Amino acid sequence: MEFAANITLSALLQQVLVGLSRTTILFIVASGLSLILGVLRIPNVAHGSLYMIGAFLTYTFATLVGQSALWFWLALIVAPLGVALLSFVFERGLFCHLYEREHMMLLLFTFAFSLVIGDMVKLIWGSDYRSLTAPLFLQGSFSISGFPFPRYNLFLLIVGPLVAAGLWFLTNKTKIGKIARAAAVDREMVGAIGINVSWIFAAVFVIGCYLAGLGGALVAPTQNITQGMDHAIIIEAFLIVIIGGLGNIWGALLGALIFGLTDSIGILVLPQFAIVFPYMAVVIVLTFRPKGLLKSTW
Amino acid sequence: MLLPQFLPRFYIYLFAMIFAICLLATSLNMVLGFGGMYQFHHAVFYGFGAYAFALFVTKSGLPLWIGYMIAPFCSAFLGLVLGLITVRLTKLYFGMLQISLGSLVWAITYRWYSFTGGDDGIHGIPVPDLIGSSSGAYYFNLIVTAACLFLMYMIVNSPFGRTFQGIRDNPERCEAVGVNVQKQQLVGLIIAAFFAGVAGTLFVTVEGSVFPDLMFWTLSLEILIMCLLGGWFIFMGPALGAAIIITLRTFVGIYTEYWTLILGIVLMLLIFFLPEGVLGLFLKKASPAEKKEG
Amino acid sequence: MKTFTWICVTLAMALVLITAPAQAAKAIKIGIVDCYSGPPAAYTNDVRDAFKLEVDKINAAGGILGRKIEVLTRDSKFKVDLGLSAAKELIYRENVDIMMGTINSALALAISDMCKKEKVPFFVTFSKSAKITGAKGHRYVFSITENTALAGKAAAAGLAKKPYKKYWIAGDDYEYGHAIADGVWDNLKKLRPDVELLGQSWWKVGEPDFTPYITAILSAKPDAVIVATGGRDCVPFLKAAKATGFNERVPFFMHTATELATLKPLGLDAPENVLGTSNYFFYYPETDANKSFVKKFETAYSRKPAVGAVYGLLAAKFIFGAYKKAGKVDTEKFIDNVEGMSVDSPVGKVTMRAYDHQAMLPMFMGVTKKVAGYDFLIATDIVTVPGKDVMPSIEEIKKARKQ
Repeated sequence: MEFAANITLSALLQQVLVGLSRTTILFIVASGLSLILGVLRIPNVAHGSLYMIGAFLTYTFATLVGQSALWFWLALIVAPLGVALLSFVFERGLFCHLYEREHMMLLLFTFAFSLVIGDMVKLIWGSDYRSLTAPLFLQGSFSISGFPFPRYNLFLLIVGPLVAAGLWFLTNKTKIGKIARAAAVDREMVGAIGINVSWIFAAVFVIGCYLAGLGGALVAPTQNITQGMDHAIIIEAFLIVIIGGLGNIWGALLGALIFGLTDSIGILVLPQFAIVFPYMAVVIVLTFRPKGLLKSTW
Repeated sequence: MLLPQFLPRFYIYLFAMIFAICLLATSLNMVLGFGGMYQFHHAVFYGFGAYAFALFVTKSGLPLWIGYMIAPFCSAFLGLVLGLITVRLTKLYFGMLQISLGSLVWAITYRWYSFTGGDDGIHGIPVPDLIGSSSGAYYFNLIVTAACLFLMYMIVNSPFGRTFQGIRDNPERCEAVGVNVQKQQLVGLIIAAFFAGVAGTLFVTVEGSVFPDLMFWTLSLEILIMCLLGGWFIFMGPALGAAIIITLRTFVGIYTEYWTLILGIVLMLLIFFLPEGVLGLFLKKASPAEKKEG
Repeated sequence: MKTFTWICVTLAMALVLITAPAQAAKAIKIGIVDCYSGPPAAYTNDVRDAFKLEVDKINAAGGILGRKIEVLTRDSKFKVDLGLSAAKELIYRENVDIMMGTINSALALAISDMCKKEKVPFFVTFSKSAKITGAKGHRYVFSITENTALAGKAAAAGLAKKPYKKYWIAGDDYEYGHAIADGVWDNLKKLRPDVELLGQSWWKVGEPDFTPYITAILSAKPDAVIVATGGRDCVPFLKAAKATGFNERVPFFMHTATELATLKPLGLDAPENVLGTSNYFFYYPETDANKSFVKKFETAYSRKPAVGAVYGLLAAKFIFGAYKKAGKVDTEKFIDNVEGMSVDSPVGKVTMRAYDHQAMLPMFMGVTKKVAGYDFLIATDIVTVPGKDVMPSIEEIKKARKQ
C-alpha cells in the first residue's frame, strides 16, 4: 500500500472535478433505478444491461457514417430512445403480466432479462470491445491549475444538473409525474380513483430505463464499451439508491455524489484500496440510517 | 453410488462439484424457502468460507482438518456480523442491505492483492490426494454433503425450524405470541451461513483454487435460481436445481458461448410457467392435495 | 424421494450419452485455452491463427507420425475461473496431449500447476510472468514468449540511459502487472542506484476509467512512469493517455507498447513518444525469413502478423519438431527432445533453454511515432537486445525455485 505523495490543493480540486463528472453518470443511471424502485417497488437488475446497450447503440449510431459531430449528437438522442423502446416491449410483452406475483419473482425476472440482454449484445456486436471518440470540439483537455481536465468531463458536469432539473420538473410539475408519485405511495388509491395504474407503471418503467440508456450513451466516449459494463454499474447504482433512500431522486443525487467523490479522492489518497472507500461510505451511512439518507417512498 | 468405478474422470469431477453446490443451494433455502427471507447475497458466506479455508491451508502451518473445522465457523461469524446489521430490516430492504455489505466484503477480498491474491485468486491449494483427487473428492463431498443435508433436515423439522417457518408465513402473529422474530432470523441466517461455509470448503477440495467471483452477486442470484428451479418449498428442491444448472452449464458451455442467454430464457420460462419449480410440479402431479403457498 | 432419484439418474444418463466426445481416429489433440473476447483478443487471435496455419500445412502433408493433428480452443474471457474449468474439461474429458495458452499470467500459473499434476506438457504463449519458468517452473511447462525478467532487464538497460530519477509505477493489479513492474524496477535499481520510487497506483484489471488515476499520478510530479498494464488494459490505457494528454506531460514506459497488436486498434489516435519493448515487428528486421512469414500470414488472413503470430509459429515448430525427433507420441521423450531444441523463426534462431524451459527471444526497444505510409503508429529508434544477454542466469532460477 502506498500513499500518494504531494497531495496539493490543486490535485484535490482536480480529483473533485473528475469525481463530479463521474457523479453525473452515476446519478443519471441511479435516478432511473430509483424511479422504478419507488413506484413499482421492483429492483430492476436489468438496469445495468440497459445502460450497456445504450453505450453500444451510441457507438453504432455515431460511427454509422464515419465519426462526425452531427452523428454523435444524433446518437445521444436516438440511443436512449432505443433503450426505452426495448424496455417498453419487455414491459408490455412480458413483465406486466407478473405484477401480481411477489417481489422476489419480479426481481429474478429482471435478472433473467439482464442475462438475455448481456448475451444479445455479444450476439449483435461480437465480444470485441468498442472505442468511441467524442466529437472534435469535446476532445482534448483544459489545463486547470496545471492538470489536464478533459473537455468531455466538463460537458458531463453541465449535463448532470440539466438532467436533474429535467427530472425534478417531470416529477413535480407534470401531471404524469404527480400521479406517479401518488402511485408510489398508495397504488390502490390511485387505482380506485380510476387511473390505470398499469399504464403508469409502464410509463415509469420506460422512463427509468431511458435514463439508464442515457447514462450509457453519455459514458460511451470516456471508456471502452465492453461486456461487463453492466455488472460494474449495477452494483454501484444499487448502493447509491440504497444510501439515498429508495425511490428518492434527490437521494440518488446525494448518493451519487458520495460515491463518485469518495472514489476519486480515494484514488488520490490510497489508490490500492480506492474501491473500498465508496463501499465503506455506504456501510457507514447504512449503519446510522438504514433506510437511507433521505426519505424513501416506502 | 459407485460411479467412480465406471465413469470417465471428467464426470467424477463434475459430480463432486455438484455435491458441493447442492449443499450450497440447500443452505440458502434454509432462510429463503423455509424462512421467507430475501437472502440476496448468500454467495458471500460461501466465498468467505472458501477463502478462509484456502488462506488457512496455504498460510498457516496447521493440519488440514482444522481448516475444515474453522472455515464454516468463519462463515457463521460473518453471518452473525452481517446479520446483526441486516435483520433489523425486512424483505427488500434486508436483501438490498445484504447486497451492499456483501459487496464490501467482496471488494476488500478483490483488492487486497498481497493477502488474498486479488484478481488472480489462490491456486494449487494443497489438498492431499486422498480427498483431493477426482474420486477422492467425489466420496468426500458426497459424505459431507449427505451429512449436512441430514443435519439441515433435522433443523428444519425441529421446533426451531417450525417457528422459523411460522415467521415466514405470518411474522406479525409470531410476534404477538411472544416469538422474538429478529433473533430467530439471526439464528437462521447464522446456520445458513455455516453450511454455506462448508460448501465453500468442499469447493476448494474439488477445485484446488479460490477466486473473488465466489463472492460476486451474480453467483448469489444463480443460487437463487437453483432454489427456484428445483422448488423452494421442498427440502430437496434446491439440490435438484443445483444439479440441473451445473450440468446444463457445463455441457451447454462446451457447445456454445451463449449459456447466459439460455439461462436467462430458462429462468423466464420458469417464472411464467413453473413457479413451484421442477420438483414442485412432480409432487403436485403425484399428490393432487393442496400445496401450502408461503 | 423416489421421483427425485429417478429424475437425477435419467438426466445424468441422457447428458452423458448425448455428450460423449466424438472419438477422432487417434488424432494428436492440442488444447488451447485463451482469451478471445474483448481487448486481449487483438493479441491472441494471431497465436491461434498462426498455429493453425502450421497445423493445416502438416495435416495436408499427412499429419505427424501418421496421425492428424486436432486443435481445440476454449475462451477464458480473461477470467481465471473460466479458464481453469475449460482446462479441466480439455484434460479430463478430451484427453488432450498438449496444452497451450494463455494471455492471463495468473491463469497460466494455475494451468501450469494443473499440468504438473496431470503430467501434460503446457506451452505458455503470451503470459509473461517470470514465475512461469522461474519460481513456479517445472518439467511440464515451457514458455515460448519472453518473460518479465527478460523484458525487465532489457527495459531497465534502456531506461538507465535516460536522465529520469523520480519514478512512479502504475498498473494492473494482478500477477503480470506486479511481475513486470518488479522486473523493470529491480533491474533498474541495480543499474542506477540513484533512482527513487515516489509511489505506486494499482487499478483493477479492466478498469473502465483511468482519468482519476492519471490526474493523481501527475499531481505527484514524477520524472517518468512505468506503466505495468497487461493484455486487458494496454490499449485502453494508451487511449486514455492520449485523451488526457498524459503522454505529453510525462514520459512513460510500457512493455508491449510498440507492438502492432497494441497500436493497430488505436490507429492514428495512439500516443507518440511512448517507450516500449516488444519482440516482433513485421517491418523490422527486413530479413528474408521475416518477409516470407509476413507474406504467408497476410495471404491467409488478410492482415499483417503481430507478435502473437510468432508465438503461434514457435509453438508449432517446437511441438511438432519434437514429436518428429522423438519418433513416437510419448510425453517424457517429447519433453526431452524439446529441451535445448533450436528452431528458425522470423526473428532468427530461437533456442529453448533446457534448464528452465524458457525460449530465448530477442527484445526490441523502441519509441512510438507517426510515420508516413502507415495508418497506425510504429516503433522507431529500435535497439535490438539478443535473448542470451537478458536471460536470467541459471543460478537465479535455481534460487527462485529453491533448488
